[in-house]
Amino acid sequence: MVTEQKKKAINRLQTMRPLRANIDKTYTRMVEASKAGKPTAWCMVNWWEADPILYAMDVAGVYPENYGAVCAADGIAQVHLERCDAEGFPNYLCGYARNCIGYAARLKDFGEVPPDAPLGGMDKPMLLVNSTALCDARYKWFQSLGRYLDAPVWTVELPHPGVKESQREGAYERDINFMVEGLREFIAFLEHLLNKKMDWDKLDETVNDFIALNRLWHEINELRKARPCPMHSRDFWTCMTASLYPGGDLKESLKLYQDMFEEMKDRVAKKIGAVDPEKYRLVFAELPPWHDLKIFDELAERGWNFVVESWAYHPPKPMDYSNISDPLERIAKQTYQWFTGYFKDALKNGEHMGYFAYPYLEFVRDYQCDGAFLHPLLSCRTATNHLMMVQDRLMQKLKVPSMVMEGDIVDLKAFDHAGALRKAEAFEEIMDNYKQARREAGMAW
Amino acid sequence: MTKVVILDTDGVIRARVVGTTGAEHRRLANKVMEEALEQANLSFDEIAYVIATGYGRINVPFADRQVTELSCHAKGVASLFPSVKIALDIGGQDAKGLKIRNGELVDFVMNDKCAAGTGRFLEVLADTLGLKLEELGSISSKSTNKLKINNICTVFVRMEIVSRLSEGTPLEDVVAGVHDAIARRAVNMIKRLKIEPDVVFTGGVAKNIGVVKAVRENLGCEVFVPEEPLLSGAVGAALLGKEYTLKAMAKGEPVQRKERRLEEATFFK
Amino acid sequence: MAKVESQGLNRVREIYKDRPRRARELKEEGKKIIGYLHIYPVLEMLTALDLVPYSMFGELREPITKADACLPTIVCPFLRSLMDLGLKGKYDFLDGAVTAHMCEVGEKFTHVWRTYIDLPYSHYIDTPHTTHAAAQKQHKEQLKEFKKSLESFTGKELSPQRLKEAIKIHNEQRALVRELYDLRKPDPPLISGTETIRVMVALMSIPVEEGNDLLRQVISEVKAGKTTTEKKPARLLVWGSMIDDTALIEMIESAGANVVMDDIWVGSQAYFADVKPTDDPLDGLAYRYLVELKSPRTFPATPVGLTKKVYPEDLEHRFSYIRDYAKEWNVNGVLLQTMRYCDIHGYEVPGLRDYLDNIGLPNTYIEWDYNQAALAPLRTRVEAFLEIIG
Repeated sequence: MVTEQKKKAINRLQTMRPLRANIDKTYTRMVEASKAGKPTAWCMVNWWEADPILYAMDVAGVYPENYGAVCAADGIAQVHLERCDAEGFPNYLCGYARNCIGYAARLKDFGEVPPDAPLGGMDKPMLLVNSTALCDARYKWFQSLGRYLDAPVWTVELPHPGVKESQREGAYERDINFMVEGLREFIAFLEHLLNKKMDWDKLDETVNDFIALNRLWHEINELRKARPCPMHSRDFWTCMTASLYPGGDLKESLKLYQDMFEEMKDRVAKKIGAVDPEKYRLVFAELPPWHDLKIFDELAERGWNFVVESWAYHPPKPMDYSNISDPLERIAKQTYQWFTGYFKDALKNGEHMGYFAYPYLEFVRDYQCDGAFLHPLLSCRTATNHLMMVQDRLMQKLKVPSMVMEGDIVDLKAFDHAGALRKAEAFEEIMDNYKQARREAGMAW
Repeated sequence: MTKVVILDTDGVIRARVVGTTGAEHRRLANKVMEEALEQANLSFDEIAYVIATGYGRINVPFADRQVTELSCHAKGVASLFPSVKIALDIGGQDAKGLKIRNGELVDFVMNDKCAAGTGRFLEVLADTLGLKLEELGSISSKSTNKLKINNICTVFVRMEIVSRLSEGTPLEDVVAGVHDAIARRAVNMIKRLKIEPDVVFTGGVAKNIGVVKAVRENLGCEVFVPEEPLLSGAVGAALLGKEYTLKAMAKGEPVQRKERRLEEATFFK
Repeated sequence: MAKVESQGLNRVREIYKDRPRRARELKEEGKKIIGYLHIYPVLEMLTALDLVPYSMFGELREPITKADACLPTIVCPFLRSLMDLGLKGKYDFLDGAVTAHMCEVGEKFTHVWRTYIDLPYSHYIDTPHTTHAAAQKQHKEQLKEFKKSLESFTGKELSPQRLKEAIKIHNEQRALVRELYDLRKPDPPLISGTETIRVMVALMSIPVEEGNDLLRQVISEVKAGKTTTEKKPARLLVWGSMIDDTALIEMIESAGANVVMDDIWVGSQAYFADVKPTDDPLDGLAYRYLVELKSPRTFPATPVGLTKKVYPEDLEHRFSYIRDYAKEWNVNGVLLQTMRYCDIHGYEVPGLRDYLDNIGLPNTYIEWDYNQAALAPLRTRVEAFLEIIG
């Protein structure tokens, strides 16, 4: 069998496959639920702040941010973007938001899911769940959908303290308290909307499942510190969905991650890398070019192993939740940990952007990266704002160079595939030079 | 280009001139005016009111008033097509959408930032293909399988059509594709005004039958084109001037006129 | 007291032309100057500790050269300009900076600023995005922390008494600004939109008491007819993104309108809500600076009992104050403007236009870039809008 096939440059994990199949089912599940009269919601990715609650109340969620990437890959995004322009929205707004607004306008026109909607589309929701985490689009965009949908909008807040302010006495407790009170109100809102009471036992179990899932996912990613790295970023981006866009059976996801953990341990023991030979270890920031992931295969042929990536998609740093009896407190602490987990060390190291930028300093050091591939996006400020700081800090503090290649989340032609490969070739020399410089400075890699 | 229309109080057009003034339009508007006066067999002092409109409107020393081309086009188009609700105007350097009710402008959209939806787009591409602008329409009418162009930027489209031609795509399909691209761009812009019939298409680009066809296809409805698509702005300006004059006369008031001289703009010397 | 020669509108022009001058003079005298960004930093606390609040603005006419190294081009050009000025040392007279969660880029700006520009004091208030009871409580806690950090910096106690006094003085300024804005109600308005913006920028560059004196002088000069304005058919309200310079308003007014009212930061947003008197002054401050300030960056609290969103009701809830402004100032057209890349205002545009269409108020939308060259092409759009409503 192998002699007929060309050997793939990236040695993908076997256990990746069932996880990949999981996400696509989310849309059809939602449409089915909607048709059956069950509660449905369009959600922003909320990093497990709202998800456990929705899950426990049996609300089927879909994530329009993810749907933006689906539409872009399908090619229909252009139709949605043009419709959004025609609706009078400025064209500099988030590409995913514009895709969703255009889609929602058509959903209203058709009165049901448009026939050309990829993956079964997103049906009219009974609820829109905002998140204030990371960017403004993620609470303004759903508000603007009032033109097309009569679903109420609820905003779940995540505090964004400054690194300095977060370490002040009492700051942590106050922020957690704020989140917990907010979640309590969210539950009251849902109970009224859905005309049913929260099942607190189910919530308790759900929260624990999420925590366990993320803990497992964290351990899997820890194993990537090994040389050679057993898991490429491509597998990360495929498999993160079970954690970030939770849908379907949580226990099933837990099992799939468990299988993945076993496969990873096995690879580490046998020194099997995702890329062989592993000439360069790279970090990638922030959102990958979803439509052109095969560029990584071509880079792998040059010995580029992407060993860590996308801070925002990574699970929180582990912490002890065992003596927290209130599930809402556990929820708040997990999400807050995801966002601020690096802040204490950031402050110690004199870094002020404790999320997005500083974590890459730790990633690069812990995963021993030779270079960073930075991917600014024309229509996503959030994933682009910090990249210049990242480039600067990585060079200043760790003597690690970055290569920058522009792209976009919905205008896929913005990414120059051939140009990226040309740049990569030149970048190898730069990485080699800095490897030398780090050696001379007595650094560990 | 500088266009002049002279009309009388009965609304009859006494002169119509389209003069190529090029980069010197600021200085030479008076020359085109002189040509129009000759055509109408009138002297400058016999003109009751002059309205200047368009890009160079502030550089006309012999105008009584400046009015935007948006209002003037709306007026002009409505006089030619009384049932018009939406007008699309694509000129050499900009594109406009006008919403018209009861002969008046009520809303508008404009593209004056990006070459891609304007006459410039066609100029650049015609040049790339070694064709004259006037030839584009008839060439595209032979197309049976128009090229789908996905790029939005003029520079990239240029690259795309060159490579398609070298791959063997027939010229007429490429030209039809170019027409479709500009039409699509324009139609997307005017969709912000909520399309309602009747739709009128004016401006220099409306002389290209290929683009007119593409606009019809992209809109999915009938599109009317005036006989002289370049003149609707000037016609509208003249009609507005007529309105002001008649209103003043009816009230027994003097027609407001600035001190004006028919000569070159002097502030560029 | 400063040995200032000029008064009133002349003084306003002087300050506008050389904004840091007064701050630099005060610094020589030993005062501490604290920069603040946007409307959420609580100014009363600065005043109460004898610190001089100084609003951080950009410079429309200065090309951005240094900021490209730390902020990409696809973000708010105003913040890029401010960062650029900071990197060029134009804010070297600041002893500190207070910022708040005005918007996502404003928040990131804080972290980037701290990384590259070292000031003796800096504090960031993570103002909540909603106005729920929990958010109000959180905001009060955040203000307590801000107070503590200021006390630590100054070595002085910020007693409730001092705070109440500062609130009184700042409320006085707000009342004086509203009095000035009342002078825009007649036809023609007694003071132009261009002149008003100059006054606002000047006020945000000097200590609050000096500002109050200046305002009293300006108001009496304006009442005495020291300004010249013409009657024009269009009386506009300008809504939207940051305006910290006369350029845009001047362009609009020279196109043939009177800008008689605004819903912008350097204008009604900063001055129209007072701090209500409360036993604990922090309660009044926390409430005013989160709930009363009108800005699209704040998401109005969703009531727990809501099951369906009724679009016109939602618009009414969010925008009815604009209708009230329009009525009081006899506005006959609204000009919506967003700076390119401004998300907070960008998402609002279609909804606000729907609302204005529903109440029969003509409106238009322009998008601009934070530089002078960007304004000229917009003039045609403004003129056409004036022709429509004229």
